[in-house]
Amino acid sequence: MINRRTFLTGSITVTLLGSPLFSALAEKRKKQNLVVISLRGGMDGLSAVPPNDPILEKFRPDILVRKTLPLTSDFSLHPSLKNFHNAWNQGKAAIVHSSNIPYTMRSHFEGQDLMESGGHKPFAEHTGWLGRGMETAGLEGLAIALPMPLILRSKANLDNYFPTKLSTPSPDIMKQVAATYPKDSHLRSTIERVMMRPFSMLSGTGSRKAFRLASTAAKALSKSDGPRVAVFDINGFDTHAAQGGSNGEHADKLYNLDKIFGKLRENLGSTFENTLIVTLTEFGRKVEQNGGNGTEHGYGTAILMMGGLIKKAQVYADWPGLKHRNMFEGQDLNATIDARSIYCSAMATVFDTDFQKLNRHVFWNDQLENLQDKLFRI
Amino acid sequence: MKKNFFRKVGFGIGPGELVPDNPISWAQDQVNKVPPLIWDDQIRSGEEMLNHYAEWVYTDREILRKKYKENRHAYREAKNKLRYKVGEKYFENLEICIRQNTALKSKSPVFERLWLFWCNHFAIIDKDAMPQFTTGPYHRETIRKNMCGSFETLLKEATLGWSMIHNLDNSESIGPQSEWGKNRRKRGKLATVNENHARELLELHTVSPSAKYTQQDVVQLSYIMAGWEHKHTKKRKECNPVRFNYKKHEPGNHKVLGKTYKQRGLSPKNKLLDVLKDLAVHPETRRFISFKLCRHFLTDNPTEDMIAPIVSAWEQSDGNLPTIHKALLKVVYDYANREAKFQNPEIWMLQMVHMVGGNWPLQADEMKYNFKIKPNNHQRKPRFFMKEIGYEPYRPIQPNGYSDIESDWISPELLIRRMSAPKEIAQRRIALKNFGLMIDKNFDNAEEIKYLIKDVKSPSTKMELIFPSYRMLKT
Repeated sequence: MINRRTFLTGSITVTLLGSPLFSALAEKRKKQNLVVISLRGGMDGLSAVPPNDPILEKFRPDILVRKTLPLTSDFSLHPSLKNFHNAWNQGKAAIVHSSNIPYTMRSHFEGQDLMESGGHKPFAEHTGWLGRGMETAGLEGLAIALPMPLILRSKANLDNYFPTKLSTPSPDIMKQVAATYPKDSHLRSTIERVMMRPFSMLSGTGSRKAFRLASTAAKALSKSDGPRVAVFDINGFDTHAAQGGSNGEHADKLYNLDKIFGKLRENLGSTFENTLIVTLTEFGRKVEQNGGNGTEHGYGTAILMMGGLIKKAQVYADWPGLKHRNMFEGQDLNATIDARSIYCSAMATVFDTDFQKLNRHVFWNDQLENLQDKLFRI
Repeated sequence: MKKNFFRKVGFGIGPGELVPDNPISWAQDQVNKVPPLIWDDQIRSGEEMLNHYAEWVYTDREILRKKYKENRHAYREAKNKLRYKVGEKYFENLEICIRQNTALKSKSPVFERLWLFWCNHFAIIDKDAMPQFTTGPYHRETIRKNMCGSFETLLKEATLGWSMIHNLDNSESIGPQSEWGKNRRKRGKLATVNENHARELLELHTVSPSAKYTQQDVVQLSYIMAGWEHKHTKKRKECNPVRFNYKKHEPGNHKVLGKTYKQRGLSPKNKLLDVLKDLAVHPETRRFISFKLCRHFLTDNPTEDMIAPIVSAWEQSDGNLPTIHKALLKVVYDYANREAKFQNPEIWMLQMVHMVGGNWPLQADEMKYNFKIKPNNHQRKPRFFMKEIGYEPYRPIQPNGYSDIESDWISPELLIRRMSAPKEIAQRRIALKNFGLMIDKNFDNAEEIKYLIKDVKSPSTKMELIFPSYRMLKT
């Protein structure tokens, strides 16, 4: 049973939605899960998945990642990402590199708005790409968040769940209050949903640690009548100072991420085979280290993907190189793949919905590439 | 009698307060002048708060990051010390207290409701250290102080104030043909305008999309706005006063909504001031904001009949805010029995506190702080509680602010918060002794509400039954 407190956290929030219970459309399809992990602050793709290029040491003498884990002849993996590496060795993890959303202005606030809305202009959209994708796929269901994160907003009517620290009233009081809401009103149906919940969802205690949250989310996803989409938020990737290499601030964040990967896999059990986990961030970080042994806001970065729906272990990239002339504005890893192509392909695969249809409804028919057959098992 | 009117435009009738005999004049008399903030201690100026902000960003970025570049634990510890020294964990809590204490104890609750409306109309989103330091002062100084003059002045002050300029990135804007623009291009760098502020000025603050402006209008307005910036310095980062930097300004004439704006006199500064003047009196601005006022105070779906008297007050008074507000109050009273409006979490909570005489928010003596250690649990309660009920006044996530639409506020978890919050307030002690009297003063259908708490002894349980009930959520 889901414990309300288990989901509470300072820097991490979990959102689950897409219970097929409520959707006739979804019932006809095999239940597959999509987990999106937002890495807020700008995740450094050159630290998570460094290219095996000696030029990197020139730019980053003090923060170069050493003792890396082997991936391919061209790329290695940060040593903090052990669970991810295990999955890689089993063909259940892959990376898309030198990619990002089409946003180059280096502002967290604009970038995070766009990574969630999937749009072109900051604050111009009031819905999120995942919400629109679920709407297109005919999914509605349970969201676990307060308030609704932008990435999930859409016209779809979403139920939500997020543990409160306040003490909740007794079922009897709730019943009396509910009786004041007009029959057939939105209020009434909403309160009835609350009252149908097991008491354990209304009060309880539990750990707020990230990996515990991941475990609970994974258990919910693994149920055949459970939610089918989960969104995690991890803050703190904005490492302007003391970023470090194999150890340091960025390594700590990657370690947290890896722990989530591990706990998701462990608790998804056999449903891991029908699951796809992808990361999302607003931008990468500059190639050259700064005076505080950190990095400034950049552009291109890496997307980490894991799960049974991965086609094979690979670093998928149109690698631009790290010479000055190859860099974006002479300072950033360029982004040669629109990250939205990956997210659109991921939704098409997991939601079993036509890519072009999603592209039309979610991404305004932008020039996105269908990468389903390259990246995912269909 | 329309007793719900006192909740529609205020916070209800509290213990010891009488039901006004003449509701319309009671309400209208409150909007003529700006009432004082109510707080039993000094209230820091926006200027001082910007200094704290500057110390926070400068010390962190220029000193701590370099000093502790090898030792992240020492860095974290030093950063926490700095947090306490500059009040990074404190001031937002303090501002919530000042805001809510003023709202609850004001002799002009109607004015306070309008204040909260305008703060949300000219919303400052959660960006950088703004919620921690400057958005509270912006609400107090930029919005509140200008609520009894013309809309044009309020618009001008909000648009050119530091908060909006920084919040919507106008300092990043560089006219492509400006002196800086040309220089940057010579060095192979990008030089372009940032359209954020121009777009929101049209879409959210004035004419709205119903004016059918085009992308070209947005770009042209961005050119006009280019150069309005805060300087970015090493010592103060973004914390410098707003100025007009003609070296970033796009020279020439620019056409917005069919009108060409030209330079008058020596500085091209006037172009934006002229645009603001026109936007402030544009028929679509009047319509849009009259609509928004009705939507906030009366119903999710205002009709033409509701909006018309407000638009007409706007026209006849040349945008005089008290006149507009009075017209609104009359409309709300006229329709009070026909429409019920779902109240957002903050207003609903303040109504509850006011009606029971709740001991909220924390008072000045409880908020005394030494700037040496982390603020104590109580002092961090205001933020915690507002976050918990789903309304953080200084942290909307998009520039359109918090929603005024019922469906955005109804979800299982948000409803659970409405059922949980009354106990929280009850536990903090309430002044109300006679619930029956409170109900008589605040509800036309008093028997219906009294029936809810019949045979109930505990004040806390009474609150748990009354406040999440239908007539309180929808007023």
